[in-house]
Amino acid sequence: MSSISQTDWTETLKFWPRHNEALYKRLETKHSWLETSGDGAPPDPLEHEMVLNIGPQHPATHGVLRCVVKLDGETIEKSVLDIGYLHRGVEKIAENKTYQEFMPYTDRMDYLQPYANNVAWCLAVEKLARVDVPERAQWIRMMMAELARISSHLIWMGVGLMDAGAVSVFLWTWQFREDIYSIFDEVAGARLTVSHSRIGGVATDLNDTGIGMIQKFADSFPEAIASWEKLLNRNRIWIDRNVGIGHLTAEQVVAMGMTGPNLRGSGVAHDIRRFEPYLKYDEVDFIIPIRTEGDALARYFVRLDEMKESVKIIQQCLAKLKTVKGPVRTDDAKRSYPNKDEVYYSMEGLIHDFMYTDTGVAPPKGAAAYSAIEASKGELGFYLQSDGTGNPWRARMNSPSFTNLQGLEHMLEGAHMGDLVILIGTIDPVLGEADK
Amino acid sequence: MADSSNTPKAPSTLPFSFVPQEPETVVENNPHAKASSQVGDVMDALKSHLGDDFHELVVYAGEHTARVSHSRIIDTCTFLKDEKGFKYLADLGGIDRFTEDDRYEIYYNLVNIEDGKRLRIVIRIDEESMTAQTVTNLYPAANWNERECYDMFGIRFEGHPDLRRMYMPEDFEYYPLRKEFPLLGVPGSLPLPPQAPTGDLTEDPFPAAHGHKPPQSFEEVKSEEDND
Repeated sequence: MSSISQTDWTETLKFWPRHNEALYKRLETKHSWLETSGDGAPPDPLEHEMVLNIGPQHPATHGVLRCVVKLDGETIEKSVLDIGYLHRGVEKIAENKTYQEFMPYTDRMDYLQPYANNVAWCLAVEKLARVDVPERAQWIRMMMAELARISSHLIWMGVGLMDAGAVSVFLWTWQFREDIYSIFDEVAGARLTVSHSRIGGVATDLNDTGIGMIQKFADSFPEAIASWEKLLNRNRIWIDRNVGIGHLTAEQVVAMGMTGPNLRGSGVAHDIRRFEPYLKYDEVDFIIPIRTEGDALARYFVRLDEMKESVKIIQQCLAKLKTVKGPVRTDDAKRSYPNKDEVYYSMEGLIHDFMYTDTGVAPPKGAAAYSAIEASKGELGFYLQSDGTGNPWRARMNSPSFTNLQGLEHMLEGAHMGDLVILIGTIDPVLGEADK
Repeated sequence: MADSSNTPKAPSTLPFSFVPQEPETVVENNPHAKASSQVGDVMDALKSHLGDDFHELVVYAGEHTARVSHSRIIDTCTFLKDEKGFKYLADLGGIDRFTEDDRYEIYYNLVNIEDGKRLRIVIRIDEESMTAQTVTNLYPAANWNERECYDMFGIRFEGHPDLRRMYMPEDFEYYPLRKEFPLLGVPGSLPLPPQAPTGDLTEDPFPAAHGHKPPQSFEEVKSEEDND
């Protein structure tokens, strides 16, 4: 125990010695909430305590998450998480880019659902600069963001089951994720880093092939969920691995600021789609799945049901897109890119295109706005401040994975070492987003 | 007209550069304004609660932002949490205003889940002390956000249980989101692991930009044993 504080890290480690010293010191001085073996129990003759580093380079940590845990036998007594291994400083980068230029960076934040990040960024800029968005673009955005939610939940499910030892489910979910990749490829021209949304609308309208692919996916996917439910909902191994672990009460999740399915798995009815409806969420019919148990199994059911609701929303969007016709980007050259036909065949269009690339949209000086969407991980918000130029003065990103990981530190304490990978999976973190 | 030569000429603006405009008329009817941000009554209650420590109320895009004294932030949060039901801290972050007095600000994004309300509290930090009071006792969720704010702006939080840097290693000595921090970073501030097992740390994160040629993988790097 005392050996940790006596270690001279400047001698042992040349690389970031003070960082490791502070980390282990924190682990040493942190209050342990676990009850010890009780009064009068004989002291443990064997030293069972061990400090273990899991990550940052470990496949089960879903990215570059480093968990430093202090073990007492098989039980995690204390845990300290260390993030920042993927820190690229996107907030700093955003301050030096125009609003439209920053869009490709949002693809790389939560890389499991890039489309939803694009939409979140666009909505924040549109709120700040007061840009109107045509109705058709809003339906397209909503449909694609729901597809992104499904694709993110598919990864969570496949990887979560692989963590529990079932590799085949990973391959099955990936098959449908591949379908969604193909849809994005058809609609946006890229499989992963889509950047399809634009400030003031979307880049291109959907073609018939794209609509057909989405329709086919939406028709066939509920059947797949039903088959997975048949496999998993009564699966002894899967249930036993998940039930009762990582338990959080409603008060705890609210206090720790957790968001998304982690909040709703503990019985707190908070979803940004209902709380402050953006796009057209107030016009579609869907329910928000809530469970009150608060354990890993509850979060599994919440996410599974969310996928079903997403399919329902996609079907309604497809029906709506048949009747809602019109432009997909606002026709205001000061606020949005002009149509490519204008750019190629008119002088004004070319000038506007140049000006928009060079300066872009310039919200009024001193304006500040916060806009959030319900991403698959939870509340993904951007707080933007303008100084009147084309670059944001301050672009702050409220990322759900960051807030959720804070709760993981608490969840790990008292859990068994073997449940650690399940608990990381149930939080569903993406380190690209948490590390900014 | 004789003294007109003494008055300095107005600086001419370059014809193709973009000149920031002063704010237009108050932007109203923002299509993206949300019903959740209509918290005028809460702001009135907060104003009567704080008195002179309630400095200003800014409304933009339907969102209410109250600036209060930094010494009363605990009081403000306690009032909002216990009496107005804002139990959920959605976001907390720093802002650097750079050229203004008291350039650092911290904003608190608070949510009332039951009533569906959201508001924002802003405090300005005294530049001499560079400290703020922590709200982790009221909102445990603020823990990591305050660490991030300390990491990025160097604002210390009094009474924070674990004020370490969030993203950058402790060995890093700068605060990257301050406006004076260069976008490309500071050479030598973030050493990288040695390129050979027995070599020195790479002190420059952008060696190529400063004329350094790192050894290539096909080149055999001499170890200390070869030198003996």
